[in-house]
Amino acid sequence: MTMRDVLSSFREINSKYHMFHAVTGDADPGDAAFLFSAKDNLTSADMETCSGSRILEGYRPAFDAESIARMRAAGGKLIGKCNMDEFGFGTFSVNSGLEIPRNPYDPERSCGGSSGGSACAAAVFEDHVSLGVSTGGSICCPASFCGIYGIAPTYGRVSRYGLIDYGNSLDKIGVLSARAGDMRKYIHMISGRDPKDPTSCAQPELKDTGRKLKSAAVPKDGTEGLSADVKDAFDRSLEKLKSMGIDVETVEMPSLKYAMPAYYVLATSEASTNLARYVGMRYGRQRGDLSLRFDDYFSSFRSEYFGEEAKRRILLGTYTRMAGFRDRYYAKALRVRQSVIADYKSVFSRFDAVLTPTMPFTAPRFGEISGMSALDAYKADYLTVPANLAGTPHLSVPCGYDRNGMPIGMQFVADHWNEEVLFDAAESWEKGFEMVKPEVKV
Amino acid sequence: MDRETVERVARAAHIKLSESELEKYSSDLNEILTYFELLDEAPDTGKTGVNPVEIADVLRDDVPRSDFDPDVLLRDMDTYERYVRGPRLL
Amino acid sequence: MKIGLEIHVQLPTASKMFCSCPTTDAPAPNTHVCPTCLGMPGSRPVLNRKVLEYGIMLAKMLGCTVADTTWFSRKTYFYPDMSKSVQITQYDNPVGEGGVYYLDSGKPIRITRIHVEEDPGKTKRVGDLSSLIDYNRSGIPLAEIVTEPDLSTPAEARSFLGQLIEDIRYVIDLPGDGERSIRCDCNISVGKERCEVKNVTGLKNVERALTFEVVRQTKILKAGGKIERETRRFDEERGVTVSVRKKEFEADYGYIDEPDLGIFHLKEMSDRIKIKESPQKMAVRISAEYGIDKKMARQLISTSADLASLFESAAREFGTKDAVKWIAGPVSSNWKTMESLGISPEGIVPIVREHCGGKITDTECGIRLKSYMTGKEPEEIAGSSGDLDKIIAGYLDSNPSVVSDYAKNPKAANKAIGAVMKQSGGKYQSSEVVEAVKRIIESRM
Repeated sequence: MTMRDVLSSFREINSKYHMFHAVTGDADPGDAAFLFSAKDNLTSADMETCSGSRILEGYRPAFDAESIARMRAAGGKLIGKCNMDEFGFGTFSVNSGLEIPRNPYDPERSCGGSSGGSACAAAVFEDHVSLGVSTGGSICCPASFCGIYGIAPTYGRVSRYGLIDYGNSLDKIGVLSARAGDMRKYIHMISGRDPKDPTSCAQPELKDTGRKLKSAAVPKDGTEGLSADVKDAFDRSLEKLKSMGIDVETVEMPSLKYAMPAYYVLATSEASTNLARYVGMRYGRQRGDLSLRFDDYFSSFRSEYFGEEAKRRILLGTYTRMAGFRDRYYAKALRVRQSVIADYKSVFSRFDAVLTPTMPFTAPRFGEISGMSALDAYKADYLTVPANLAGTPHLSVPCGYDRNGMPIGMQFVADHWNEEVLFDAAESWEKGFEMVKPEVKV
Repeated sequence: MDRETVERVARAAHIKLSESELEKYSSDLNEILTYFELLDEAPDTGKTGVNPVEIADVLRDDVPRSDFDPDVLLRDMDTYERYVRGPRLL
Repeated sequence: MKIGLEIHVQLPTASKMFCSCPTTDAPAPNTHVCPTCLGMPGSRPVLNRKVLEYGIMLAKMLGCTVADTTWFSRKTYFYPDMSKSVQITQYDNPVGEGGVYYLDSGKPIRITRIHVEEDPGKTKRVGDLSSLIDYNRSGIPLAEIVTEPDLSTPAEARSFLGQLIEDIRYVIDLPGDGERSIRCDCNISVGKERCEVKNVTGLKNVERALTFEVVRQTKILKAGGKIERETRRFDEERGVTVSVRKKEFEADYGYIDEPDLGIFHLKEMSDRIKIKESPQKMAVRISAEYGIDKKMARQLISTSADLASLFESAAREFGTKDAVKWIAGPVSSNWKTMESLGISPEGIVPIVREHCGGKITDTECGIRLKSYMTGKEPEEIAGSSGDLDKIIAGYLDSNPSVVSDYAKNPKAANKAIGAVMKQSGGKYQSSEVVEAVKRIIESRM
């Protein structure tokens, strides 16, 4: 398929799979070097940016996110902004205030989340790369459910200028694609210091060191609670890695079970402050009944336009940082993050990567998701959360298919700033893995 | 979290909750906070940090610059004679 | 009675605290704005180095310990002019903590902390239909200085503020009044419970608001009532404070660390920064070193720090007595004129030196100094000041008791000053008369 073919057919495909919220009006690729899409929480000067929320409908940013600007500067053409859970709050992209993307392998199932639209686009369109954002697993989860590669680099590797914040100490911009080689190529393209984002300025240069994946540690807890098909595929993958000459061992990582509560405390605490700015003034939806007193105006506006999960996380995060509770939750979670990082560092002194399945199950049907409690849904992230909390780079590769033909993913975590090992893991793995592409019917 | 606390939190967060929402969120948040009790027993070395990797001493020089056309920033805003319109104060 | 203040000072940077928007007066509402100070989704803050430098300078001036490491916090509260509904401020580890500041009376006022933060925008009050916001001020850097409740009266609070502001102006080159005014939150308790009067602008209003509170709280206590802990605001027009909210409705700011900026190591920066001696400290030192009255020292400094330095070098060379006589005398009273004429003070010391070397008389010295500093011909000055001297001499001849009274209490000179001013029909500047009366009385002692 040429770029022109994609540009002429993607709107029709979108009407079935709902990967995009906003799309380009162009049908002509011009002199573009490649086509790409981006999660809708990355600002784009030429397309509405809503971060999956009704409260932001109508927001036309005055500037491109740095990651999008770098893709464009390298000849990329942005074709669409990808549907997602509202502000990134979810694991299945069903918490969208706009449209819910459909899994390319089975439209009755979820794409995963929160970068669900990005994974969907990367799985469906040929030669397509999509920018995603991970706070607690939002790149690896949908990559796994959609059977593609996805990488979230080290915290601070890619400038967050132009990212609509969820949790600023956790958010990382990364890449999703059906091709392993795109991990290296596009992370190189979008990474690097940016004076507009101070947290991007601590990074050492990303260099091609040629470093290979030679060893991987499997944390004991990381293999509990898996569905039978996932466990099976993961075990077979471990054997395959060993046959590739990679040393695989089981290790104890005692702090990992505390990563989940620490993550949700920090993520929601930060999110509740980030979302405080949405009050029905200045941008996005405005013009409510201004004769209400400001407290009432803000409250009614926020109640009307935030979705159910956004409200839940705002309430939770407001509570965990309130005077009287702050020490028990917020301050403790900051310290637990340091323990989790220390745990990873001790493993990385002996191994190149930590290895687990990406998700404990494959893409669920929408009906199954609506039966889950809020806590059940949070807990589904237990394999992706620790690396996200620690800010360590992590990558999901497709490693098999379940009895229904739904993809299964496996996740490598490397030390801070050590994306090189992950690039190699993806490229080496791809050589011996037979990918089954989804059949896209329109 | 009892109802009263949920109400207090909702007021601080500027979220108006209906009766049924209040009920639902109380029960959800209780379940989640019970799970968070794990944090109480988590080992604590006392080490803390704002970011997962150290970000230190990133500063800008004090040089004024205008990178954006204010009219573009204001184009979609509800304004009156260049003032941004907001709700009543008192 | 206990009074504590939280003082907000706008810092004189050229660009805003977290974005590069200019801080100069804007041509129209919402023109010095960008995505960052408008709080637009996707924008990000980058800290202005100068803000930390000013913070350190003020911390040093207040005798605070400068933190080795500092960082920022998010204070969440909802108000139309707060563009992010979050103010980036400092909570844990502010720039400086634990200082002390001395009033001219010698009384110490403990400084709890000093931190830096961003200013919100401004709301224009319009009718009941809506509010109108101008975000030009949003993101202007502020220093907040918090005192312990060590002030005992509204008048003392006022003189503390006046003295503090003068020092701040001098140490960080703060421009005069105008837009960059001082705003204060005043905490006051007459009994056990305290009230906070928020956002009072200007020295006079601080004293008025506090005085109103003293009366209000005293009345309640006398009637056997209880003071309720609450936040109030000052109505400038009516001169009263009004309750805004009771304690149970206080906003819960839910402070968390600001993750977008990282941390800042201040040690090196602080070692590098040397501040000018504040007027308050200079007054204490000069009065101790040269044995002069603290009030005189303060007066020299408030006229100009350069005048105070000149006094010091004259005192070292000619002794305190001559320095007081000449520098605190005619030089001081003509200083402002000299400055306004753009005349350099370089020529002053040589004239005094000639006199101390016995080359010129008292009268000649006075005329030469005044002539040099005002650019007028010596003859003109000799004529007019000769006339003035004659009037004074005449008065003292007929009222000799003034001289002996003056030896006991310098206030005795006021009588002579008043009489001479009246007699000369306002022909001479009061500073000139004061100086001449004192000079002539002292020569007769």
